[in-house]
Amino acid sequence: MKLKSTFLKAAALAFAGIAAQAQTVSVMGSTALGPIVKRAAEEFMKLHPGLNIAVSGGGSMTGLNQVVAGGCTIGISDIYATPDQDKAGIKNHNIVVQPFTLITHPGVGVKSLSAQQAEFVFTGKISNWKEVGGKDLKIVRVIRPESSGTRAVQKKEILHGQEFSKDVLIQDSTGAVVTSVATTPGAVSFVELEHLEKNKGKVAGIAYNGVECSNEAVKKGKYPIFSFGHAYTNPAKTTDAATKKAADEFVAYLLSKEFQDGSVLKAGYLPVSYVKSLKTDL
Amino acid sequence: MDPAETRHSLPSKGPGSLRFLLDRGAHSLFLACALVVVALIAGILVFLSMRGLAAFLPLASNTGRVLSLREVFLSADWAPSSDRFGILSFVAGSLSVTGLALLVAAPSGILTAVFVTLLAPGWMKALMRQVMDLLVGIPSVVYGIFGLTFLLPLVSSKWLHDSPASGFLVAASILTVMIVPTIVSLSMDAFEALPKTLDEGALALGSTRWQSIWRVLIPAARPRLMTAVVLGMGRAIGEAMAVQMVIGNNPAWLSLVREATDRAPLMRFLFTPAATLTTELVQELPNTPAGSPWNNVLFAMGLLLYLMTMGIILATRRLGQRGSA
Repeated sequence: MKLKSTFLKAAALAFAGIAAQAQTVSVMGSTALGPIVKRAAEEFMKLHPGLNIAVSGGGSMTGLNQVVAGGCTIGISDIYATPDQDKAGIKNHNIVVQPFTLITHPGVGVKSLSAQQAEFVFTGKISNWKEVGGKDLKIVRVIRPESSGTRAVQKKEILHGQEFSKDVLIQDSTGAVVTSVATTPGAVSFVELEHLEKNKGKVAGIAYNGVECSNEAVKKGKYPIFSFGHAYTNPAKTTDAATKKAADEFVAYLLSKEFQDGSVLKAGYLPVSYVKSLKTDL
Repeated sequence: MDPAETRHSLPSKGPGSLRFLLDRGAHSLFLACALVVVALIAGILVFLSMRGLAAFLPLASNTGRVLSLREVFLSADWAPSSDRFGILSFVAGSLSVTGLALLVAAPSGILTAVFVTLLAPGWMKALMRQVMDLLVGIPSVVYGIFGLTFLLPLVSSKWLHDSPASGFLVAASILTVMIVPTIVSLSMDAFEALPKTLDEGALALGSTRWQSIWRVLIPAARPRLMTAVVLGMGRAIGEAMAVQMVIGNNPAWLSLVREATDRAPLMRFLFTPAATLTTELVQELPNTPAGSPWNNVLFAMGLLLYLMTMGIILATRRLGQRGSA
């Protein structure tokens, strides 16, 4: 019943939109951020019946490429734009905070790693779990491809900029990473907190410097590993005044207290305001 | 409607007649379809070339530095974020996994076809054809998920003392299962297309069943059998999804295999996480900035894959023709 009424409302909205020659703002990019931005778009369109926000995927880099080229109004991305893309005059808005955690196969016998141990595990200086107090079991490092945003966060925060060990297993998506870790004894990886929560029985979370990853820990400033979700606009390429106004209003809504304290929290992200010391390079 | 009736109901012959127009119309339609296919193939080649060759030329579509052919095609050092673009390990990976798969799939596929078409009872032939057609239609991601969630853990726990099983062996096994139906299906066609007189003649001259198959029928069908194998090979070398899920995707596999000492060389080769042209493309292409050397080199890899497949097909055509002449 509820579904039906929502559907009817959506249909009515869509119809009203067409009738009023809806101003469309196209949003493109990160598939990870897609659901939360779509949620924002629905809420926003309810408040502004004349406006239409169309959200589609493609990946972070596609979002950035498109917003630079003027192919979409807003590009959403898990990663910061490259210096070249920044030069094109696009404007960054940090919209959510995404905590990351280390995970392992449940049987490695380790519950916590110090910052240095975690670094050594992934650079290859440590290659057996017994060296960090666990079982006599080879460490299997499961990481994401080189172009992945998660890997960029991991390289900066866990490896402090050093190269990963050559001896790694690479999986394309976080889902495949979780499956690999769950089925490979000795496996260790690095994923968004929500993926640990969704797979609690299959993989184990590892505390970092003695602190388990949680929203509370990030909020209190005790847990340092997180990244921002970004929305990029391109003021120079958005020439249509009405579209520009609508896009600015939508970004303002993404940053509003109402959205940040409501849907952002519910979706497993953290409001940007939780993070006091803004890290600017990741 | 009866064909004869149709012929009578249309005014016959002469330009301007309905039949003539229909013929011309159909002719142009088919010609157009053929041209569209050719244009598509050429278009893909042009597109890949434009993006791929941009890595080596100072073009507007190249926002980074100009790479030398040598550092891309003759190096296995792949670290695009650190400005190193050697793709040799991917080429070697593609050839290895395809070769391994063919090693099993080609003989077993052809022998299956021999059995089904020449030795098995009729009902089995019909059944096998249906099963093979069914298997060809299974989406590759299904094979991939099967490999990732079932085969890898099984191999790892049964034979490898829990060390990870990702690598060429599992990837090639899955490819084998994927291409055997293609090879069987086409090989069955090859044997069915042979004139009955060949078999009968051989038997009449006193050869045994085995001699007839081995000395007469298989050589006679060779060109078409080779086509069957090549099409299977094309499917294997171009497969991305299923391989990507089980192979481990490690671009540094060549040096890992060379440097590690933990087990016998063959085992290292079979069970080291490795990468191929297609797996690297599927992982990185959507996430690299357009126009960057990284992105351009990925397109160059796509171009290389395209040319390799074309080359193999053309070469086999040649060989097949020479064999039949």
